[in-house]
Amino acid sequence: MRRKGLVPLILLIVFALLAAGCGQSGGTGTSSSGGGANAADSSGNTADAPKKKLRIGVAFETMQTAYWVTGFNAIKEDIESRGYEMLEAIADGDSNRQLEQVQNFIAQKVDGIIVVPKDDKTVIPMIKAANKANIPIVLYNRPPAESDAKSVTVVADNKQIAKDTVQFMVEQAQKQGGKYKAMILIGDLGDQNAINRRDGFFEAVDQYPDLIEVVAKVPTEWNQEKALAGVTNALQANPDINFIFSSSDFLFPSLISALKAANKYHKIGEPGHVILGGFDGDDTAYQMLKDGYLDATGVQDVYFESKMAVQAIIDQLEGKEVPEFIYDPGFVIHQGNLAEREQDMWGAQVAKAKQS
Amino acid sequence: MLRKTIRRIFASEYLVLYLCLVYFAVMAFIEPIFATGENMANIFANMLPLLIIAAGQTVVLITGGIDLSVTSIVAVCSIVGASLITADGGVLSGVPLGVPLTFAAMFLIGIILGWFNGVAITKFGMPPFIVTLTMMMGVSGFAIWYSRSLPIYNLPDAFVMFGRDSVFFIPYAAFIVFIILWILHLVLSRTLFGRWVYAVGMNAKAARISGVPVHRTIIRVYIISAVCGVIGAILLTGRLETGSPVMARNMFLDVVGAAVLGGTSLFGGKGKIVWTVFGVLFITLIDNSLNLIGMSYFTIMIVKGAIILLAAFIDAIRNRLLAVRA
Repeated sequence: MRRKGLVPLILLIVFALLAAGCGQSGGTGTSSSGGGANAADSSGNTADAPKKKLRIGVAFETMQTAYWVTGFNAIKEDIESRGYEMLEAIADGDSNRQLEQVQNFIAQKVDGIIVVPKDDKTVIPMIKAANKANIPIVLYNRPPAESDAKSVTVVADNKQIAKDTVQFMVEQAQKQGGKYKAMILIGDLGDQNAINRRDGFFEAVDQYPDLIEVVAKVPTEWNQEKALAGVTNALQANPDINFIFSSSDFLFPSLISALKAANKYHKIGEPGHVILGGFDGDDTAYQMLKDGYLDATGVQDVYFESKMAVQAIIDQLEGKEVPEFIYDPGFVIHQGNLAEREQDMWGAQVAKAKQS
Repeated sequence: MLRKTIRRIFASEYLVLYLCLVYFAVMAFIEPIFATGENMANIFANMLPLLIIAAGQTVVLITGGIDLSVTSIVAVCSIVGASLITADGGVLSGVPLGVPLTFAAMFLIGIILGWFNGVAITKFGMPPFIVTLTMMMGVSGFAIWYSRSLPIYNLPDAFVMFGRDSVFFIPYAAFIVFIILWILHLVLSRTLFGRWVYAVGMNAKAARISGVPVHRTIIRVYIISAVCGVIGAILLTGRLETGSPVMARNMFLDVVGAAVLGGTSLFGGKGKIVWTVFGVLFITLIDNSLNLIGMSYFTIMIVKGAIILLAAFIDAIRNRLLAVRA
């Protein structure tokens, strides 16, 4: 007889627990109304209320390169230094998972969402969901495709930074004199950032047709093996290439091994030096700058971008007008300003953290 | 007495459901948001694509096979379907009956791929693991090549509504998924074909000798799995309003994990659609709750792996208990 009573018994316990759980949730809701973080009151209390501890959901697409890890930590530090709480989620390249993560944030009634989307299109339903729940959403470093969904994007001014970097390389070339054959490593053309960097490169070199001739455009699709194969081929076809711009610093290891194989990797000032430029400002680039191999790289200011992303959420919560795009002006780092600007170069921080 | 009760709980086919309820109660204590209506609606919606794909996989597992290619079928159908119907130059965009035609094309692709799997396994006697693994590589490669690894957007509402919209707070997807699950359940439990499926899984040789058309049965189960994959593709594509060549790429562990967690045997001959529903529920609860309490993706992977392993362990104990009882 007792055995037969078992199933209802278990169900009873479960429901008792459930009820207790719900009671608990009601309890927290009321007891924490003072400094409480949850708060269904998204209405935003007025100045007389004690300062609310905001909760911000941060959803990254990947943590696979140092750039994203640095950005993630910078955002975390910024949020925590303001005394707010950060909820985190990593989608590992899966946009369906990312959508679920953003929906979870919404269910948790976070005050704001920062997302690094997998791509510019799958992020649209996430933005729409956040819009519907009236939660401000900020896209970090990757802009969305065009739609009627409302969001704020913090992104590096890729075209301008690339142009400035290449401009600096051109100045080095002018100082040295002679004529130059140039190569560019192009990123994945599905990525707007890659397109902008390519355009920035051409805007700069096209002004100097007498000085520079672009002889090789290597498509890499943001893939190191493709970069290595493409650069090797290009160097065989044009052994006199002496001016190279890589659309991302993370391709440098491939570029260096191809240059070494062709016996073209020499320090600045040594005979046969190839003028080298990059983009991102990662730790490899920092090391190359320090060792005197790299002429310049365009740095995305990770710290600026993460600060602006968090600030954009707070501004929206306070009802301030926030532009749809916030551009990180970035800067060019080179041998001349390395000492004074390296504290703003995220790769330098990564390199130092590695050493310590 | 106590031993008997414990044995009874372990032997019950609702064990996983009980575990779900207990887990739900415990998590509701730890994270009150977990039990809110909004979050439960999220859990329900998150379950649906996994549910349909795992149900198809269950049928294959019962025959003692495995369909590793199903997630790549999801991806290729997502990208091909989206490319046909997108307002950015899809050939069926704006054509009358364009959406049903697109669905028909997706189902056709699924059926052909599933049929190919089945034929390679039966007529050429190749192991399911190799056939479906190479199919997975080829098909996902094709999906990326076909789309140049770019997602496709601008899909018409009639196309995405099945994955995105709801009626009276119940997603359309729920109706589709549960009707198909009900049909699959009836097919497995009430029809001759259903009995063939179990017979093939228990002992293919004995089944053939006793007159079961083993080849035809196996070919059909791979077609069923692929068709479930196509439905999964329709739901996921609608949900994200985007066709993606890497859709469902990381889903395979969840698909097989859910089936095994429910109690379907990887050795064949044992399994039920209802069990898989419980398994999917459990996996989705874990995923959602750990995400809610702020665990990182990698920690969730570790926990999920451990729980699936634990389920396999409990399954082994249960089998032993059942063997003793029988």
